[in-house]
Amino acid sequence: MTDASMDTPTPRRKKISLVADDARTKKRNKAEKRFQAYGIGAIAIGLFFLLVLATSILRSGIPAFTTTVVSVEFTLQQEEFDEAEGQLFKTKAYSNYFISALQTTLTEKGIKVSFDEASIERVMGKIGSTLREHYSASPDTLGQPVDFSLGASSRVDGYFKGRVTREGLQDSRFLTLADLDLVDALAEAGIITTTFDWNFITGADSGVDNPGGAGIGASVVGSFFMMLVVLFLSLPIGVAASIYLEEFAPQNRWTDLVEVNISNLAAVPSIVFGILGLAVFIQFAHLPQSAPLVGGLVLTLMTLPTIIISTRASLKAVPPSIRDAALGVGASRMQSVFHHVLPLAMPGILTGTIIGLAQALGETAPLLLIGMVGFVARGYPDGFISGFIDPNSAMPAQIYTWAARADASFYEKAWGGIIILLIFLLTMNIIAIILRRRFERRW
Amino acid sequence: MPVFWLIVIVLALAAVGFILGRARALQSAGGDRRDLHSLPIYYGSNVAMKSLVPAFLLMIGWLIAQPFAVNYAVSGMIPDSVISEGSSRGLILAEVRRTSDGLTNAVASGALTDDMARDAGADLDAVTTRLKDAGQVVTSQITQPVLHAAQRYRALNATGNWVMTGLVLLTALVGVLWGLKETNADFRARNVVEQGVMALLIAAASIAVLTTIGIVFSLIGNTWVFFNLYPAGDFFTLLEWAPSFSGRGGSSSLGVLPLLWGTFYISIVALLVAVPVGLFAAVYLSEYASPTVRSFAKPMLEVLAGIPTIVYGLFALLTIGPMLLSVFGPDGTGWMGGQRAVITAGLAMGIMLIPFVSSLSDDIINAVPQAMRDGSYGLGATKSETIKQVILPAALPGIVGAILLAASRAIGETMIVVLGAGAAARLSLNPFEAMTTVTAKIVSQLTGDSDFASPEALVAFALGMSLFVLTLGLNVLALFIVRKYREQYD
Amino acid sequence: MYDVPNTEINVEQRDIKISARKVQVYYGTTHAIKDVNCEIQDKTVTAFIGPSGCGKSTFLRCLNRMNDTIDICRVEGDITIDGEDIYDKRVDPVQLRAKVGMVFQKPNPFPKSIYDNVAYGPRIHGLARNKADLDVIVERSLRRAAIWDEVKDRLDAPGTGLSGGQQQRLCIARAVATEPEVLLMDEPCSALDPIATSQVEELIDELRQEYSVVIVTHSMQQAARVSQKTAFFHLGHLVEYGDTSKIFTNPVDSRTESYITGRIG
Repeated sequence: MTDASMDTPTPRRKKISLVADDARTKKRNKAEKRFQAYGIGAIAIGLFFLLVLATSILRSGIPAFTTTVVSVEFTLQQEEFDEAEGQLFKTKAYSNYFISALQTTLTEKGIKVSFDEASIERVMGKIGSTLREHYSASPDTLGQPVDFSLGASSRVDGYFKGRVTREGLQDSRFLTLADLDLVDALAEAGIITTTFDWNFITGADSGVDNPGGAGIGASVVGSFFMMLVVLFLSLPIGVAASIYLEEFAPQNRWTDLVEVNISNLAAVPSIVFGILGLAVFIQFAHLPQSAPLVGGLVLTLMTLPTIIISTRASLKAVPPSIRDAALGVGASRMQSVFHHVLPLAMPGILTGTIIGLAQALGETAPLLLIGMVGFVARGYPDGFISGFIDPNSAMPAQIYTWAARADASFYEKAWGGIIILLIFLLTMNIIAIILRRRFERRW
Repeated sequence: MPVFWLIVIVLALAAVGFILGRARALQSAGGDRRDLHSLPIYYGSNVAMKSLVPAFLLMIGWLIAQPFAVNYAVSGMIPDSVISEGSSRGLILAEVRRTSDGLTNAVASGALTDDMARDAGADLDAVTTRLKDAGQVVTSQITQPVLHAAQRYRALNATGNWVMTGLVLLTALVGVLWGLKETNADFRARNVVEQGVMALLIAAASIAVLTTIGIVFSLIGNTWVFFNLYPAGDFFTLLEWAPSFSGRGGSSSLGVLPLLWGTFYISIVALLVAVPVGLFAAVYLSEYASPTVRSFAKPMLEVLAGIPTIVYGLFALLTIGPMLLSVFGPDGTGWMGGQRAVITAGLAMGIMLIPFVSSLSDDIINAVPQAMRDGSYGLGATKSETIKQVILPAALPGIVGAILLAASRAIGETMIVVLGAGAAARLSLNPFEAMTTVTAKIVSQLTGDSDFASPEALVAFALGMSLFVLTLGLNVLALFIVRKYREQYD
Repeated sequence: MYDVPNTEINVEQRDIKISARKVQVYYGTTHAIKDVNCEIQDKTVTAFIGPSGCGKSTFLRCLNRMNDTIDICRVEGDITIDGEDIYDKRVDPVQLRAKVGMVFQKPNPFPKSIYDNVAYGPRIHGLARNKADLDVIVERSLRRAAIWDEVKDRLDAPGTGLSGGQQQRLCIARAVATEPEVLLMDEPCSALDPIATSQVEELIDELRQEYSVVIVTHSMQQAARVSQKTAFFHLGHLVEYGDTSKIFTNPVDSRTESYITGRIG
């Protein structure tokens, strides 16, 4: 840049018409379009992933809510009962009666299919012992038609839900191709049907060997007790901490330390909270393993930063003029906060709390370490207090347990469990949104 | 549940104190509340506070201290000769506790009489048999010293509980009387109550610090024990991760480097997915999208953020894995051996991080003042030129902070890698191979069958420590950058 | 190269640069500009005055289609520059804004170096063939904005580090660097102290040699000092438009008189 260059006359831009784009503008507009397309592409990718996620949850999860049942009407006469009881292999005798009755029913409906005791056992389990147990327990039903409703075996269930196909099936001691002919015949006769599986929603977990009987009910209860602990600890502590930090804390190093601490805790990996729970609550304080109380305590510590951050934001949103007004009529600072600021900030606080709870409800990693995973919750807790301290599972932990089992039929249960978990989360978030919409105040 | 009832009684005492205090204050003012310094409820609250707070503090302190005192006393009863080879005093003490619990439960179920449970001279075999009959799990055979210790343990605990109950009730009562004694019309009850409330608020705020201290101590303590059993140098430098589960220690190689490599590799794959998609989505939503599109697409993307990680884990294992396998597996290009791989976990994690990156970047982009955009448009810049050359450079520190936060998320993520990444620790560059991460190994070492005192289990705390330090560093750096950036426009 | 012969509109001593006919502007349902007709001359400083909210800034922003960036804003009527309708569908607002530069109320330098701030426009419009060209353009623009001597030793320093008056002159340098034909200034001195204001005012007077300058101002003294033409806006109407000396000494409309004597506004 020399002065000499300044002497040259200023090179004015070539006069160009506004209505015709020059080459450079065309090029720039193309770049603009391209850039915009990247943005649309990014959004589309995000939405595409969401769609894939939603479809795979629904497609794989919905079958968990249905189960395949075999319902047969069967009549056993008194003399048949006596005869069967007189034999050496009693259950085999019952099976034989059942098979011949079934054969008759099918023939009446004009369906021809051949089967033996072994294939019946593969399709619907050991029918003989079921019958014997029933008639030994209630002999008065002898001679009358009784409806037997039996769960189909897991593989037959899979056949109806598309998990098992004729093409992919290899004859094994669990199921053969011939059995599928029988299953088709029974389905045609209306003996095998698919019904809604209430047991999945209300039942408890089953062992590794019985995927059909597994239910999520007990772990919903476990999660419920955990959320009670989280709610009743994190809300008061979180609000108290926020009030102090936002309204009363002097600006000093201690306050700075607490603030830095909270923002860091919010980003500490959840598994570290699991380690904390293991070391402090189980190793040190000897609280029971797998208990919702311990899970709740760990999740409380994890949720606190979230609640504190959102509560402080709501407190900050209340304008200082409200505080001044209260102080102006002679209220103490404490009174101005508790009588005026806190009620005004309450909708925001509750919204933040619900969102924090929803996060805690879906959290799995810390529960792995305090023993809530792998535990087979076979039943409901038998009281309110034992609900907190008896070992139980929680929804996400139960889902993980199922996903980690070797039998692929449990995967379906895991997806089904996810649907239930997401329904809870969705409900909580909708409540939060409604609260926010209804009570949000703009100053 | 005696502690439960104790709490109820103390609460009842406080309630009575509240009513008495309120009444006494009114009485001292001759029934005219205008002559009181504070509102009547403050006098009541003052009395209630003076009974509740010391009583509960005493109770909590006692409950924490008692197990240590009892343990110490019982520990002295066990002669060194009982501690067999390969066992430790801690294990024997655990057995003492179990036996003691067994005795209590057996008494409760009626299998043992209370006297028999206490009797020091009770026949060992008889007690064991009865315990077993009552369904109380008793490891092998109880030895005489263990039974004695258990009985002593039980007795000490029972005494301790009674003494505590008495002392707590006494404290509560003294508190009520103290509160009532100071109650008169001129007493500044409101100020005292407000000081008390303030103390509670400060205590609540300190819990955050206590949590951090708890985390640091539980990590440091166990890490220290681990490094006493296993050389720290090996942990940080060995290129192999091969814990042995059979014996105690010995042949295990516990090198953290393969795990760190797996963690970083998966995080990098995740960020490669999340950062471009999230950033472009944020730019489009804040600069181009019409309000309708924005009001639809933004919450939709945020749904991805609300989905629990276990869902992403399952999604990785059961949807992404098989999908990738069908393309890159033996039937496709043949690059991929199994559905668990770096790319499987990385992809799922990337999807999870998209909304995280996009909403943080969205905030940061929106914080760039409109004047900046006007200035650029006023010079005839197109939108994309404005974004690329003015907005993004201005928002860069904030965006870097957001990416660091996302990276710290990815490093600390557990469920996706536990389900999607595999179990084998490997130092490899192939994204289609299974690798494992620090978090996945913390889970497997602590939920496995290995003894809690063995280096194979304790290594989890050292891993946790590394994870904590790593994420803390990233977070502090990110927060620092974001904060610096905010100041720029304040 | 003109499509429209400019002899037709060359009625006064100078060319008509911008001509507005029946301009209406709506913000949602609010009618912000009502039926404004106005002709702005080349190489002249035109001042828009009027009380707050009268629409003068809105009208200014119509002249380079800055209102396009506001979603709810709608513009009707014709505005032509050199005879070309700027609201024609074929017109690219980006090209228009290169021709009609703008300086804003608050100095808004980009968070980049002083050099990059000025070079930004020439770069995106491709005005320089090489680095040397760009250096020349940057220096000339900074000299023209009368800030060269203050910043020549620290061209790499961030533009945000300058004082308010320097920042505003940097923004003017940035605007002139793209070689516009019209320069719009929206209250360029409202955020500046009196010394910086007088520097900018001097600058505006010099810029008149080469550009048509339109300035919105709240200060009537400023309008009187720097402009040759003045337009008075009131409640969305263009009440009076004419030579500055005439408006300030002998206004036709009673509202104008009330405003300049301080009774409304």
